[in-house]
This record gives sequence, C-alpha cells and structure tokens, in this order.
Amino acid sequence: MELTFWWVLPLAAAAVALAFFLAARRRSTHDARPVAHGERLTALPEYRRALRRHRRWLAAAVASGFLFIAATALAAARPAERTTTQPELRNRDIILCLDVSGSMASTDAAITAVFEKLAKEFDGERIGMVMFDSRAVQLFPLSDDYDYIAQELATARKAFDDGGDSFFSGTWGGSGTSLIGDGLAGCIRSFPAAAAAGGEDSKRSRSIILATDNYVSGAPIFTLEQAAQLAKPRNIRIHALNPGDLDYGGRKDQPGARLRAVAEASGGSYFAPDSPEAVPGIVQKVQEGEATALKGAPQLIVSDRPELPLLAALFAAAVLLVAAWRIER
Amino acid sequence: MASLLKRVQSKMFIFAHRKTLGLLDGEYGSVFKGRSLDFDELRAYTPGDEVRDIDWKATARHGSPLVKRYVAIRRQTVLLVTDTGRNMSALAVSGEAKRDIAVQALGVLGYLAHRHGDVVGLVHGTAVGSSTIPPRSGEDHLERLLQEVHRSTTLDGGPSGIGRQLDDVLRTFKRRMLVVVVADEVMPDAGTELLLRRLQARHELLWFTVRDAELAASNPADAFDVADGSGIPAALAGNAAVRAAYHQASREREQRRQDLFRRLGIAEGRAGSSTEVVAALFAMLERHRSRPPHSTGGRAAGRGQQRAG
Repeated sequence: MELTFWWVLPLAAAAVALAFFLAARRRSTHDARPVAHGERLTALPEYRRALRRHRRWLAAAVASGFLFIAATALAAARPAERTTTQPELRNRDIILCLDVSGSMASTDAAITAVFEKLAKEFDGERIGMVMFDSRAVQLFPLSDDYDYIAQELATARKAFDDGGDSFFSGTWGGSGTSLIGDGLAGCIRSFPAAAAAGGEDSKRSRSIILATDNYVSGAPIFTLEQAAQLAKPRNIRIHALNPGDLDYGGRKDQPGARLRAVAEASGGSYFAPDSPEAVPGIVQKVQEGEATALKGAPQLIVSDRPELPLLAALFAAAVLLVAAWRIER
Repeated sequence: MASLLKRVQSKMFIFAHRKTLGLLDGEYGSVFKGRSLDFDELRAYTPGDEVRDIDWKATARHGSPLVKRYVAIRRQTVLLVTDTGRNMSALAVSGEAKRDIAVQALGVLGYLAHRHGDVVGLVHGTAVGSSTIPPRSGEDHLERLLQEVHRSTTLDGGPSGIGRQLDDVLRTFKRRMLVVVVADEVMPDAGTELLLRRLQARHELLWFTVRDAELAASNPADAFDVADGSGIPAALAGNAAVRAAYHQASREREQRRQDLFRRLGIAEGRAGSSTEVVAALFAMLERHRSRPPHSTGGRAAGRGQQRAG
C-alpha cells in the first residue's frame, strides 16, 4: 500500500493547523455574555448531566471530525496497491497445420489426440485446424468453441486412425502431392486478416504446429521458405514436427534441415519424434515453451484502493452530523 | 466622561413624574424614625410624610396640611455601600451591566440625599478590600462617588464579596447613619447575616438588589462566569430540564433571601433594569417606613432618639 499523492497529507495537516490557529484567534475575540453567580446554574445536577452529555458529543464530534479529515486526506492522497503480475498466456491462437499424406497419419492422429485433450482445459485460446496434401483444407477455423473443437478433433483423429479417405478428399486434386509450401501458406492465411492490420486480434500470439516430413512431390506455388516469409510479418511462430527426418549428412538442402531452418527462423522449434508415442510429450513441450516464451514481462499494476478511507470518512461524517445535531440542540 | 449624575437625573425624570419624585422625597425624609424634640419649622405637607408629623392645630389655622420639622432630621449621613467586584460588571436581567443599574440607584439615592441637604459617603470594594469616600455634601462630591463606582467596577476587578464592605462599615462608622447597600442577588451566608444584624442594630439599613441575569433564559446565548471565566454554552443553558431545575432553584433561593431580609427586618428593593430603579427605590423606602415596629430597627431608633437629643 502506498500513496500516489503523498504531499496531500502534510498539506491537510497544515490546513488543520491553520484552522486551529484561526479558531483560537477567533475565540479570543468571541464575546459571550458576562454573568455572575454562574455556579447557581453549573452546580445543578441537571446541568452537570447535560454538560457530561454535551462533552461526550463534543468529544465524538471532535474525534469524528479528525477522523473525517484524516480519512478524506488519505483518500485524496490516493492510496494505491502496487502489484506485479505475469500475465498468463490465455490469448493465443494456434493452428494445427497437418500434412495428411499417408506417412504422416499416425503423427497427425497423435497430435489431434493431444489437442483434443488440451482443448478441454483451454480458456481463451483459439484453435484452428488446416490439413493439406496437394491442397490446403480448413477443417475448422480459429475458434474458442471447445466442444465443437473437441468434436472436430475427434472426427479427425478417427479419420487419421482409420484412414478414412473421404475425410481427406478435399486435399487432393492439385498438381502433385505433399505441397508443403502451399499447405503452410494456407495455414498462415487462415489467421484472421485483421491480425495484420493491428486490430484486437493483433494482440494475440500466433503459432502454427506444422506436422510434415517435408517431402515435396509436385510443383508447389510457394516453396517452404516462401511460405515462411508470409509468416514473418504476421509474427507467426512455426513449430515443426517431423516424424520422418531421414536426412543424411549435414547439408542444408536436406528436407529436415530446411524445415528446421524455417521453424527456427520464425522463432519456433523443430522436433523429430521417433514414434507417434513421443508426440504428446513434444506437444506438451511446445505448449510450455510457448507459455514461458510468451509469458510477458512482469507487469506493474497500480490500483487505487480508496475503499477503506472513504468508508471511514462516510462513517465519520455520519457521526459528525449526528453529534453536531445533538450539540446544537 | 459624561456626567454620571446628569445621566442619572435624566433617567430619573423620565421614569418618574414630578409627583412621584415628590413622593420619593417624602419617603426619603421619613426614613429616620428617630426624631428629636427640637422643633425646627413648619412646612407644607408633602405626600409621603408621616401622617403623625402633621401639626393639626397649625393645619387647622393655616387651611392646608403642615408638618412639623425637627432639628435632628435635618442633616443626616447617608452611607452608600456597594460591591464593585467583578460580579457587578456582569449582566443584569435587562442585559445592562449591573454596574449601570447600581450607579443609577446610587445616583437617585444620592440625589435625594443631596436635595435633603444630607451628606453622602461611599464604601465600595471587592472581597479583597474596600475603599471609602468620607461623607460630604454637594453635587460634585456625588458625581465623584458615582464615577468612582463606575470606574472601579470592571470585569478584571477583584472578586465580589459584600461581606467585606459590611464589616468595614461596621468597624469604621460608629455614628448612626442611613446605610444603603446596593449589591446583586447575593445570598447572605451566616457570617454576612450576623454582620447585617449588627449593622441593622447600629444604623438604618436598607438593601437594594440589582437582579442578576437569568442564566437559563428561553433564548440562550453563550455566557461566561465572571468569577472564573468558565463558559456556559447556550446549548446547555437552553436545555429544558436544566432550565426547569434552574428556575426551581432560583425561586427557592429568592424565597430564602426574602425570608432572610424579612427576618432581619431589612427593607429590600429589587430592580432588574435602570428604568425600574425609581419605582423600586420608592417601594423599598415605603417598605422601610411601614416595617413592623418590633424589629431591631425600632430599638435602634430609640437609641438614636436619645443621641440626637
């Protein structure tokens, strides 16, 4: 608890002192009627009783007056509570960007299963899902309707597990298969456009969980790197999961190495799980990494806390009014 | 300072008709019951003169009432005794300072004495001490007395204690004289009562009371006690229970005071404002004249008669 305008207090004290000084000066010139034999009145038990009562009310008036001044001065000094909070990351947008070429099915199933579970605990986050093969298809857009998401994810997981072809039919028909660059571009484009324009959505952190082995067979419109370029101005981090990292040698043009380069250039991370069982752990890791990376700098929150002094002032004013009424009577 | 005596006279003439003033003269003249047998003169009867002083034979011859005058009543000494302690600078019932009413009463009495050819002295003071101005005649002297009273009665003067003055009068003045005490509503204590008794035996004693301000009035104002400066808040003085108790106590005290003066055989007059002074003095003198003969004053008169002779 601290005071925003601490100088109000000495000011109030000075004002009170001045008032006392003036009152004392006025008292000396104050003319009351001189009377003799005052004891004939003041010695009466009735007078004594009235005097005691009068004094009690005077004391109450003085005390409540002081309390009132002190409380209002304190309120005027704006007592504030200074707290630091680390804003939790509730405003995230995540798009699952899943390559649905045959080799990826088990990984995709694992990812959807993890998110199906996570969606139940989410609060504020938005998830969207895009799957691609030769074309990118949005399974569901960014949404915080977790029941709906869970339902969609369950459907997708079942399709991944069973290899339900009809489910993926929209991802075919382009020129070739596994057009990773196009798929990633599609994923990036499924973030709301307003995000770039600096609207409400621009405050939300954005990430893509890209599951692909980066084996392109066909002629994509975007290469992986070109698609990654789209992500940069939108502040989108790409976390890549590559279950089929079969690079040999340390050459930069190996698919795994390129994927890693793209992911890390965007500020994301790159994983190469050995088996689908490792996926949940990885997703967890990504989640937590996101959380710590995006856990904003500790924020200083200064909030006014005038309740107590104001309540005290209200109480004091009430007592003062009653006392003044009693004294004047 | 304007002449206090002039002021007293102007008020006296405003509030008393010529006839009343004449009456007052008559009343004053008959204060002394003691008469010598030394015949001085016959003069026309003035209302207020003792009827038994009328010389019926002379009246019958003359056609209008004539009164016998004796030498002994020609030149009296009037001693004004007053409290000039700070109590007297407090307010009276009317809201005037009690001092002003006292000055009015002293002035009227002094003026009556002056017209009568008597000498007037003054004993005044506080509980701490008295000062005395020896009896002398003349308006200038009277003016000096009034100025003295007016000047010495201040709020920061000494505490009031009329007993001190009574004691001093008793000690200083042995010769029989007319003693008029002007004070406020003091309740004489046992010691003062004794002093009054002794004074009454030696002198003609009259007591003129200046009525104190009502402390618990219906329209209360903040007041302070001149004795110790302690305040009396209006809120308390206006309290219904306090007022009732105060008035009850006041009534009882006044009753006791009246009883005391009656018991001592001292005529007492009361005025709450300077306009009431003349009427109150008249009533006091009247009461003095018609007081029961068995009082101590009667006995004193007998002695006075002897001395005067």
